[in-house]
Amino acid sequence: MNRFDLLNKIQNILKDNLVICNIGLPSQELYKINDQPNFFYMLGSMGLSSSIGLGLSLSQNKNVVSIDGDGSVLMNMNTLATIGNRAPSNYTLLIIDNGSYGSTGDQRTFTDENTSLKDVAIGAGCKNVVECSGDETVNELSKAIDDQNNSYVIISKINSGNVKIDPIPINPITIRDRFRKFMGIVKYL
Amino acid sequence: MKISKKIIDNLKKGGVDFYLSVPCKLLANMIDILEKDNDVYYSAVPREEEGMGICAGAYLGNKFPCIMMQNTGIGNSVNAIVSLLQLYQMPVVFLISYRGTPGEPVGAQGGMAKITEDILQTLRIPMLHCSSENDLEKISTFSKHAKVVESPVAILCDFNLMKDDK
Repeated sequence: MNRFDLLNKIQNILKDNLVICNIGLPSQELYKINDQPNFFYMLGSMGLSSSIGLGLSLSQNKNVVSIDGDGSVLMNMNTLATIGNRAPSNYTLLIIDNGSYGSTGDQRTFTDENTSLKDVAIGAGCKNVVECSGDETVNELSKAIDDQNNSYVIISKINSGNVKIDPIPINPITIRDRFRKFMGIVKYL
Repeated sequence: MKISKKIIDNLKKGGVDFYLSVPCKLLANMIDILEKDNDVYYSAVPREEEGMGICAGAYLGNKFPCIMMQNTGIGNSVNAIVSLLQLYQMPVVFLISYRGTPGEPVGAQGGMAKITEDILQTLRIPMLHCSSENDLEKISTFSKHAKVVESPVAILCDFNLMKDDK
């Protein structure tokens, strides 16, 4: 299973939740599968999906899922310490760990060598750290979102590989405003 | 404490209700005040760039965020400022302790001080430079301005203004 297959499988789970999606192919694939106003596509700032989702979950009560990658978490590893100390129960971090920098040509990351993001997350103080296969991710993600009392970090171990795809054609202000309209903050549109 | 209290009061008057900090000894009193304040959210954060991401999320969730940091933190955050906060036009207040300005005892702080305003200018970030107590009155209006223009803004607090705020 690769990232595109996994994103396809978790579509139904994502539809009622606020989703922050990592820059590059993850966002482009998610957009192609089923574009929704409750998806915030990152067009820049690699590494910050988990942080944007954390800020959002601290600011309101709806469930938030940050979709991140192994390369991006490696770039902003202090995020796991902040999550381990501050994440509220409406927060779930889904790290799609395919051991490669998918958007830049599938160069190997350190999770394909000696680094375990599960161990890092536990050491950083994160509760409910789950490492699972792509197939198991559907159940684990459902459980994490349904649990109103705990935050989760799910590390989904899948294969590398990408689908050939176009950049997202929506401009950033539209992404921002339709997301905030879904939340009831923006009244126009 | 008087200066720090005035800064926080004016930020709150400007509508800021979500605070992060990467510590500086010049920010210590403000951090103390915020830790005891139940009306607003406050947390420490390990790195400024990460804080920019958390602020972006807080804005999406209808908060008005502020990140407190040394001027060195701007250097750590340039890409996040441009390709997140500015790209999506998100108002965030940067409350910056301006290390390396006159009064600073640590010579090594001078390097970032020399280029801090140039970086902010290059990024087209509106600046409020506070060197005396009177300047602090402008903070609430300046913070509101961030929301009006949907942009990050920077408040620079000089070393000498902050250093005797016991």
